[in-house]
Amino acid sequence: MRYRMMRQTSRKVGGKRNLIFIGTLLVLGLIVLLDIYLVDRILEPMGYFYLFFVAVAVLYGVYPLHANRRLTRYYWERTKRHRLSVLGLAFIILLVAVALIGPLLTQDPTRVNFDEKNVPPVGFTIQQSIYDLDTDKFLVREIPGTYQHPLGTDDKGRDLLAMLVSGARVSLQVGLLATLIAILIGTIMGVVSAYFGGWVDQVLMRFTDIMMTFPFFILLVFIIFIFGPSLVFIILVIGLTGWTGAARLVRSEALSLRTREFVMASRSLGASDARIVFRHLIPNVLSSVIVIATLSIPGVILAEAALSFIGLGDPTVTSWGMILNAGQRSLDTAWWVAVEPGILLFLTVLAFNFLGDGIRDAFDPRSQL
Amino acid sequence: MHHNILEIKQLKTYFFTRSGVVKAVDSVNFGIRRGESLCLVGESGCGKTATALSILRLIDSPPGKIIDGEIRYHDEDLLHCSGKRLRQIRGHGIAMIFQDPQSSLNPVFTVGDQIAEQIRMHLKLKRRPTMERTLHLMEQVGIPRARERMKDYPHQFSGGMRQRIMIAAALSCGPEILIADEPTTALDTTIKEQILDIFRDLKQQREMSILFITHDLGTVAGIADRIVVMYGGRIAEVGTVYDIFDQPKHPYTHGLIDCLPDISARSDRLTSIPGMIPSLIDPPDGCIFSPRCPRSMMVCRQKRPKEVIVSKEHLVACHLYS
Amino acid sequence: MKRGGLQGYIIKRLIYAALIAFGVVTITFILLRLGPTSPADKYLANMSARTQDPAQVVTAVEARYGLDKPLYQQYGNYLINLARGDWGWSFSTSMPVIKLIQTHWVYSFQLILLSMLFAASLGLLIGVYSAIKQYTRIDYLATFFSFIGISIPNFWLGIMLILVFSVQLGWFKTYYDTGLPMFSLANLKALILPVITLGTGMMAGYTRYARSATLDNLGKDFVRTARAKGLPERVVIGKHVFRNAILPIITIIMFSLSGIVFGGAYLTEIIFGIPGLGRISFNAIFASDYPVVVTITLIGTLVVLLTNLATDIVYTWLDPRIRYD
Repeated sequence: MRYRMMRQTSRKVGGKRNLIFIGTLLVLGLIVLLDIYLVDRILEPMGYFYLFFVAVAVLYGVYPLHANRRLTRYYWERTKRHRLSVLGLAFIILLVAVALIGPLLTQDPTRVNFDEKNVPPVGFTIQQSIYDLDTDKFLVREIPGTYQHPLGTDDKGRDLLAMLVSGARVSLQVGLLATLIAILIGTIMGVVSAYFGGWVDQVLMRFTDIMMTFPFFILLVFIIFIFGPSLVFIILVIGLTGWTGAARLVRSEALSLRTREFVMASRSLGASDARIVFRHLIPNVLSSVIVIATLSIPGVILAEAALSFIGLGDPTVTSWGMILNAGQRSLDTAWWVAVEPGILLFLTVLAFNFLGDGIRDAFDPRSQL
Repeated sequence: MHHNILEIKQLKTYFFTRSGVVKAVDSVNFGIRRGESLCLVGESGCGKTATALSILRLIDSPPGKIIDGEIRYHDEDLLHCSGKRLRQIRGHGIAMIFQDPQSSLNPVFTVGDQIAEQIRMHLKLKRRPTMERTLHLMEQVGIPRARERMKDYPHQFSGGMRQRIMIAAALSCGPEILIADEPTTALDTTIKEQILDIFRDLKQQREMSILFITHDLGTVAGIADRIVVMYGGRIAEVGTVYDIFDQPKHPYTHGLIDCLPDISARSDRLTSIPGMIPSLIDPPDGCIFSPRCPRSMMVCRQKRPKEVIVSKEHLVACHLYS
Repeated sequence: MKRGGLQGYIIKRLIYAALIAFGVVTITFILLRLGPTSPADKYLANMSARTQDPAQVVTAVEARYGLDKPLYQQYGNYLINLARGDWGWSFSTSMPVIKLIQTHWVYSFQLILLSMLFAASLGLLIGVYSAIKQYTRIDYLATFFSFIGISIPNFWLGIMLILVFSVQLGWFKTYYDTGLPMFSLANLKALILPVITLGTGMMAGYTRYARSATLDNLGKDFVRTARAKGLPERVVIGKHVFRNAILPIITIIMFSLSGIVFGGAYLTEIIFGIPGLGRISFNAIFASDYPVVVTITLIGTLVVLLTNLATDIVYTWLDPRIRYD
C-alpha cells in the first residue's frame, strides 16, 4: 500500500520534479560562479547552503507530503502514538524558533566585560574571592545572579544566554545541512550501487569500505587540521565523511527492492535504467532515508560540538562546544558554564533520537502502533 | 474400556491480542491410548497446533494462556504440575516434533549434539554410551553414514534428512507419546511417504503412541488408527479411521472427505466447502460450523452441540444426532 | 575440503584487507597534498626555527619528504618510509615519531580495553536480561537508560563527572597521574572516571543491540524445540539463544571501534589528560607537528582495519553456516 501511494505521488509530479531540481541546481551554480568571478559576494556560502537545503526539502520532502495528504496523515497518526517522539519534535521546533528569533532578542554573545565575569545564573549566589589592592588582602564577595544575565556569564563576562542561543543556531545549521549532504551522497551511492550491481557495485562498495575504516572523528580532526576550521567547511567535511553508514543501509534496502516483482515488471515493460532508479527505487527507499537522516542528525551535532570543544571549531562563531571548552577551564569558579551547554546538547540529541525512533516505528509496516 | 494414557479434559487455550481474545482451543476433550496413532485433523487455524502445544505447556505466554482444563498423564495433571516435573516429562515421557525442521533445529550446533542433549540430561548417560545411542538412533531413522554425519550441521542436510534428525532426537529417551505437528507438510511428496514409513515402523516396533497433527486427509489415511476432527477450536467428530472415512457423520467431516480429489471420478471441478474459516474472536452462539453447514437448522445457530456417542468408538458434536 | 574452505576465506580476507590498507594510505596522502599551506610548510618553519642552520634543515627535510620532487615520487617515498618504519621526526617532543608512539600507546590501550570490558560485560548482561523479561519494568527502565546513555555527549559526561567527583567531592584527581605504575590499584582508581566516561555511551549502545539480538532469537523455533526437550530455561537461554545471539553482538561490538570507541577515546584522553595517542596527536595539531598527526591517524585506521579483519574471521569461525558453504 505504501508503495502504491508513493508511486502516485511520483506520477503526479513525475520526472518533472527531478527536472526542476536539476534546473535549480544549475541556476544556483550559475549564481555561485557569478558571485565568485564577477560581483562582490551577494551571498555568504552559508546562504547558498540554505538555498540548496530548501530546494531539496521542498521538492523531495514538503511537496510529496502535501500532494499525498492521506499518506502523510497516516504516518503522522502513527508517529503521534509514540509520545516521546512527539515530545522530541516539540523540543526541536522550540529550538528552531529560538535559533531563528533568539539572536535578535539577546545581547551580543561576543561582548566581553571583565567587570561582570563569572556571574551565576538567576537564583544562585556564589562566593568569589577578590584580591583587594587597597587592603592587600583577599576579600570574599557574594555575587548573586541577576536577570540581566539570566543564565550567568563566563570568565570573560560574556552573557551565557546569548551564547547558548547562538550555539543553538550553529548546531541546527550543522545538524541539518551536514546531514543533508551526507544523506544525499549516501543515498545516491547506495541506490546506484544496488541497482547497477556488478563492477559498479564492487568499486563503490570498496570505496565505501575504505572510507568506513577511518575512525570518523579522527578523520574529521585530521582534515580540519590540514584545511583549517571554518563553519562552512566543517559542514562540508562532516557531510563528506559521514555518508558511509547511510550508503550501506540504503544499498541493502535498495537491493531487497531490486529483486521485487515491480522492478522486474517495469523492466519488462521497457523502462530505462534511470527511470527505474528515479521513479521506483528512490521513492521506496525514501522512508528509510528519512529515518536514517533523523537518526544521523544527533551524531553530526555532537561531532561539531566535539570539534569546537577541542578547539578546532570555527573561532568566529559561538558554538555549544566552545562554551563547554571555556566551562572546563572554570569548573571550580563557574560550574554553570560547563553544565548549561551540556544540558542543551543532551536534550537536543535526545529529542532527535526520540523523534527518529518514533518515525522509524511509524514507517515500519510490521510494528503495530 | 480402553485405557487412555493421556486424557485431555475441557481444554481451553485463549490468545489475548490487541484485536480481541482468540479462543483457539475452546473446550476440547479426547484421549490417546497406548500404542495407537491418533490423528488430529482440521484446516489451518482450527486449533490443532494450539491443542498440541498446550499438552506440554509450550504456548507462548504472552499472548496465549491456558485458561482451563485438565490433562491427565499417569495420574498427574500436566497443566498444574510443577515446572520441574514438566521438564522431566518433556522429551522423556512425551516428546514433540514440529513442522519446519529447518527452523526447529539450532543452526550453530551439530546434529549429534542436538540429539545427545536430551540423552545426557534425561538418561544421565556418559559420553561414550550417549554417542552410541545417538548413532543407533540416527541409523534407525535411516540417516546414511551416521558416524560421519553426526558432526555435521543442520544446514548441510536436506529437508527430509532434517526431519529424520528431529525424529531421532524425539525418540532418544524412549517416550511413551510422540506428538508430531505436521511433520510432513513442508516436505516433497516422495519424502513424505518415507517419513510416514518411519512413523509406521515406529508404531509397530515400539508400542509408542503417536499424536499426529495434519490437515491432509491423505496422510491420515495412511497412518491413523483413530481420528479427531477439529473445527474452529472445537471437536467436530472422533472415530476410528473406518468410521470417519466410511461413515462420516459431521457435515464438516463429510465435506472434508468430499474434497479429496478422486482420480477415477469424472468431474471437471474439485469440490470445496463454501465459505470461510470463522474468526475465533468472539465466536457466535451455537455451532461454530453452522454458517457454512449445508444442513444447519435453527437450533444450530442457538446452542452449541454436545458430543454424542453414535457407535462404539464414534462420537459427533452435531445437532443432527442429538 | 571443509577446512580448506575456512583457510581460503581467511586468505581472501587478508588480501582484501591489504587492498583497503593501500586505499587508506593513498587517501591520506591525497588529503595531505590537497591542503592549502600544507602543514609541511609550517613544520618546516618550525623545524628550521629551532636550529642554527636553517638552510641545512630545509634541505634535509626537503630531501626526506621529497617536497621538491614530482608527485608520484613523493608518493613512492611516502609508501616506502611507512613500510620501513621511518615515520618522521617530531620536533615538538624531540624524538622520532615511532618512539613517541611506542612510549604512549599503552595509555590508550589500557583505557580502551578497560572501557570495552566494562561496557561489553554490563551491556550484554543488561541487554539479555532485559530481553528475557520483556515488557516488565526492568525492561522499560533499561531501555530508557540506554536511550539516555547514547544521547549524553561523552565529553560533557566526563566534565560533569570531574565536576562532581573531583572538584566538589574531591574523591579523584582532576588530572591523570602518569607516575603511577600500570598494574597498581592506584592506577585503576585513577582510571575509573575516564572508563565510565568512555564506557557509558558504548554500554548504552551495546545494551540495545544485545537486547534486540536476544529478542530476535527468543522468538525462533529452535527455542521451542529446546523447551520441548525438557531443557531447563537457563540452558535454553544460556546455550541455545546465547550462542546464536552472540554472533551479531560480537560484530557490532567490534565494528563500533571505528565510531564510538576511537572518537570517544580521543576526547576522553584530552579531558582527563591521559597521555595516550589521542592526546599526543591533539598536542601535535596545535604545534603543527604534522608527522605525528599523520602517523597517528594512520595507525588508528589500520588498527580498525585489523580488528575488522579479525572480527570477520572470528565470525566465520563461529557461524557454521558460512564455514561449510
